[in-house]
Amino acid sequence: MRWLGRKRKPRFCVLGLDGVPIGLLRRLVEDGTMPRLGALLPQGRLQQMRTTLPEISAVSWSSFMTGADPGTHGIFGFVDLKPNSYAIRFPSYADLQAPTIWDRLGQRGRRSVVVNQPATYPARRIEGALISGFVAIELRKAVWPPQLLSRLQSMRYQIDVDTMRAREDHDLLLHELQTTLQAREQAVEWLWQEVDWDYFELVVTGTDRLHHYLWPALEDTSHPRHRAVRDYYRQVDGLVGRVYDRFAGSYEGAPAECFMLLSDHGATETVTEVYVNAWLRQQDFLRFEADEPESLEQMSAGSRAFALEPARLYVNQRRRFPQGCVSEDEVEGLKRELAEGLEALEFEGRKVVARVVDRSEAYSGPLAKQGPDLLLVPERGFDLKASVRQPRLFARTALTGTHTWDDAFCWSGAAVKQDPCITDLAPVILGAVTGEVPG
Amino acid sequence: MPKAFTLWFTGLSGSGKTTLARRAEETLLERGMKVEVLDGDLVRTNLSKGLGYSKEDRDTNIRRVGFVCHLLTRNDVVAIAACISPYREVRDENRRLLGRFVEVYCKCPLEALKARDAKGLYAKAERGEIPNFTGVSDPYEEPLNPEVIVETDQETEDESAGKIIRTLELMGLIPAWEEEQEYSEEEEAKIKERLRSLGYI
Repeated sequence: MRWLGRKRKPRFCVLGLDGVPIGLLRRLVEDGTMPRLGALLPQGRLQQMRTTLPEISAVSWSSFMTGADPGTHGIFGFVDLKPNSYAIRFPSYADLQAPTIWDRLGQRGRRSVVVNQPATYPARRIEGALISGFVAIELRKAVWPPQLLSRLQSMRYQIDVDTMRAREDHDLLLHELQTTLQAREQAVEWLWQEVDWDYFELVVTGTDRLHHYLWPALEDTSHPRHRAVRDYYRQVDGLVGRVYDRFAGSYEGAPAECFMLLSDHGATETVTEVYVNAWLRQQDFLRFEADEPESLEQMSAGSRAFALEPARLYVNQRRRFPQGCVSEDEVEGLKRELAEGLEALEFEGRKVVARVVDRSEAYSGPLAKQGPDLLLVPERGFDLKASVRQPRLFARTALTGTHTWDDAFCWSGAAVKQDPCITDLAPVILGAVTGEVPG
Repeated sequence: MPKAFTLWFTGLSGSGKTTLARRAEETLLERGMKVEVLDGDLVRTNLSKGLGYSKEDRDTNIRRVGFVCHLLTRNDVVAIAACISPYREVRDENRRLLGRFVEVYCKCPLEALKARDAKGLYAKAERGEIPNFTGVSDPYEEPLNPEVIVETDQETEDESAGKIIRTLELMGLIPAWEEEQEYSEEEEAKIKERLRSLGYI
């Protein structure tokens, strides 16, 4: 799979750092943890970036790769409802309804290498090579073309850390963060040479795992894992530097103009988890047949609203849902009632929900109506959840970090617009590679 | 994994053997198989250098190609041969030797080949400038029971290539490639666990 002898065309390289907020990035540069990044930043422009709602990887990365919001790409969360049902399903890459950067480049005969891209499982044919990231399960189904598989297996390429065990076992977490990063870099080195690519993308997802399980160790210098988590960021910094050097070495002109770093959402320390369906039950918007419900399928007739992870509110509307009881005339009033109640919600004197966003504000495109009616934007540190199993409104688990939507980052020497959203990046990349202004 | 096999393309010069052999090679590589192509023209410049075009020399050439296919397939490499191989008897001899043998007959009427004649070989042969030219001054014995017949004057390249690959799939020689876009139940359970461990559900 080596394509030689082509005339040199513009190339573009993207490095994604999953879940890294701009504030943390700046601190790690300033305190010397990330010197390579520090040297790189002045060559481009670092900007705070908004992502689409809800601010979770499945949605954010889909928005990045398509340059569209969920109203167009159709991925509204890690979970969604089966048609005409309250049963949960797990959308896959096949549910993505808009072309990706690499699909569009492929249509123009341009090749891409995409490594560890979340929300692309099971992998499908692209012009070039794709290794799916989270929630990929089997490596066999996570690679395109299939002949990559044996070489990746020989590198001991691992899609992700063992999140089930790593949640409790932080030694294992730190060990696997390292081994996955090393194998990823090996895969990058190999594919960099093996494919004559026009677009190269690598996503590091270990950063997000670290934030979920060990956020306090990043900030607290007396934390027993502080040095270890900083070391991980040092390794990420080294990887950024090596990828950039490799790119710059093969590039004629100003490499930073065709190089981009980004995160798909931000993160912060968890104050508390907030169970939105528990609130809906307390306020009598939602009722269950069972005292200890396991799923939304046990919802009682007469329930007016329910939530899906992480903070997507649905009005149980007639003609939309099987037991829908809210008429079209009542929808706007109910949405106002829900928004007022949730915006007034407090935890230990602190406001929990910063803003309740209407679907029409959050989404554009033909699929917007398939999305939730309302989206909740939490105040910093409030981890909004929708599990129906948790009867309490506020609770804590082993998770220490949670996502933020408006402090992701983007760095590039390319002309990215002021105050960007994650959907603004794909046109910049496509324009740089093809020389065309994407429609 | 299925064991290796030999994919044997036979047919007149210009009937599409090399093109389809390369298409098959590409598909099998994509499916993670090891593949080697033995193209008639290339074989005659090395493995069978010095051999002529008498029946005896042609049979020797085809036996040699069959022998190399045997070496390859017993080492789990799919062998793809693209040779005119005009004589039925020696093709069948290879079939017996190799066992897992898939014969693809690239069928194209002589008139169509003469009309196409991209290399001008048929014109030269008709003028007598190339002796022993199969189809013109030498015989071609059609296979009686090939596994695949591709009619290259009537089918597109994609149709012919698709026919060959589909036959290999149906014979269980190569894994069927369905882009598996849905999750299996087992996968769904693992995804649920993973999402739960990160607090996403």
